[in-house]
Amino acid sequence: MDVISNLGLGFSVALTIQNITYCLIGALLGTLIGVLPGIGPVTTVAMLLPISFTLPPESAMILLAGIYYGAQYGGSTTAILVNIPGEASSVVTTIDGHAMARQGRAGPALGIAALGSFFAGCAATLLIALAAPPLATIALQFGPAEYFSLMVCGLIAAVVLARGSLLKAIAMVVLGLLLGLVGTDVNSGARRFNFGMTGLADGIEFVAISMAIYGIAEVVYNLEQKQAAKMVTGALGRVWPSFADVKQCAGSILRGTGLGAILGVLPGGGALLASFAAYTVEKKVASAPRQFGRGDIRGVAAPESANNAGAQTSFIPMLTLGIPGNPTMAMMIGALMIHGIAPGPRVMTDRPGLFWGLIASMWLGNLMLVVLNLPLVGIWVRLLRVPYRLLYPVIIVFCCIGAYTINNKAFDVFVMSFFAIFGYVALKLECEPAPLILGFVLGPMMEENLRRALLISRGDPMVFLQEPISLAFLVLAAGLLVVMAVPAIRIRREEALKE
Amino acid sequence: MRIRAPKDFWSGVMFCAFAAVALFAARGYSMGSAGRMGPGYFPLLLAGLLGALGAALIGRSILVGGEPIARFHVIPLTVIAAAICLFGVLIEPVGLIVSLAVLTVMSAWVGAQFRLAETVALAAALILFCVGVFVYALGLPLNLWPSL
Repeated sequence: MDVISNLGLGFSVALTIQNITYCLIGALLGTLIGVLPGIGPVTTVAMLLPISFTLPPESAMILLAGIYYGAQYGGSTTAILVNIPGEASSVVTTIDGHAMARQGRAGPALGIAALGSFFAGCAATLLIALAAPPLATIALQFGPAEYFSLMVCGLIAAVVLARGSLLKAIAMVVLGLLLGLVGTDVNSGARRFNFGMTGLADGIEFVAISMAIYGIAEVVYNLEQKQAAKMVTGALGRVWPSFADVKQCAGSILRGTGLGAILGVLPGGGALLASFAAYTVEKKVASAPRQFGRGDIRGVAAPESANNAGAQTSFIPMLTLGIPGNPTMAMMIGALMIHGIAPGPRVMTDRPGLFWGLIASMWLGNLMLVVLNLPLVGIWVRLLRVPYRLLYPVIIVFCCIGAYTINNKAFDVFVMSFFAIFGYVALKLECEPAPLILGFVLGPMMEENLRRALLISRGDPMVFLQEPISLAFLVLAAGLLVVMAVPAIRIRREEALKE
Repeated sequence: MRIRAPKDFWSGVMFCAFAAVALFAARGYSMGSAGRMGPGYFPLLLAGLLGALGAALIGRSILVGGEPIARFHVIPLTVIAAAICLFGVLIEPVGLIVSLAVLTVMSAWVGAQFRLAETVALAAALILFCVGVFVYALGLPLNLWPSL
């Protein structure tokens, strides 16, 4: 069996002392920032990108991945105990989770969230191990035309699933693509959009722009919000859920995992969408749905399983196609590129240790999280008392050090300052930053594939419609856009995303 | 004519401004042809598309209503952006310790609940942590003190 020998290779990489340590650090750091509202995995991964540069690529990816799925564990803790989501993907957990806490059942709520997440983590890891190799084999057959159309389709799908205005989101994608082109054109050597600044010769630093938008701009935006956190203190109750609880939740966990795993693979998907969808579905299919909203344990189990499954399966398109489905995956692609690894289907064949090591570390990290998290809940809760006025200068400081040390160029710090202002304005105008970051990462790749496809076809744009796979992607993208333009569906989408 | 959706309107203006800057900057880039794309081909395509999207947003903002824009809090934004720039200016000539102190105090000062003693303690803790982790543990090449 290939899968077994591959996973064997993966564990031989993941189980070195160094990589176990980075996995643990990543998982714990992820939980920590998951618990803390006002700082999320995207910001943290962005802040750690410069540090990951000093590590071997395997350790770097293991560390950064741990932050993403660790944050899904941490987010539920805050949601249940304080009724504010530690992570956006835990918003729905507040509904039933906090209701349970008020009934003195915080312990079982935390317990089932951890158990559900662990089950989802194991299932998703297995799914990646099984689904990634065939996908990468298919992707290796793709020519430039297929790749270009795949990127168009991916970006459109990401936009459709994003919140807010479709028109603004598409404009943000295009702006992101354009910003991605700043710097020296690889093909002609021409300097583009450098406005006479030598600092822009290598383009806009990815670390600087992502920290500006997800770190600094968010901080400034958060400073305006009034925050009053009410803590549920007192006894947590038994942390382990009873057998009856587990039995009641088994179906919810399975459904949540399945749904989350599917939604995670889609562009624009990932943990956030998965948790919302799982809660909605659970309310529809579960028996006695009236209990939902009043502390039903299934309302915790389903979304928490789903967000962890979604967080992990969103690695599939990133690892096999080199296409990021959400901003965190864009950061992971950035991390690969910092190490000089071109993301795409070749990563698996050229760097099997990195690929399978990362997958094995995910299972390992989930195990660590479920073992460590429940005993550590007390510490996490105490961390919640850290006020934001102490937290935000720390974020700013780490962003500045990160932006400077990535190339030891003060110029990148100025770039970060500029895009922080832009990011704040965008937030105020309700322009979602995620499509911009995805476009930014894909910009150069998209241009290159467009150029090659048109070179092969001697300038005939029909090539995108003549290749069957390419045509399928474009039809899918066009279909998504048309569907979104139909007002009735648009309204339902808004309701679904709002719920 | 009345602007009914200020958020859409100003987003449209912003996108059009970016498109205009891009078109202006790219005016000298060679277009090439579709079969042999020059450095200007894809950027001009994107800039044109961005301008069209911006115009569509502006157009829609006149026809369809929307929410007003929430107030801009200019002071925190300016002070933090300035603090970051100052960090970039200071880091090489005066070293990590002084630049971090300036950055932390400026950032904390602009928050609603500034407390001097607490901020000084925070700055000291951050400096210790950053020097320990970034300079000693990770060995990043950062000057600690002004290089004379």
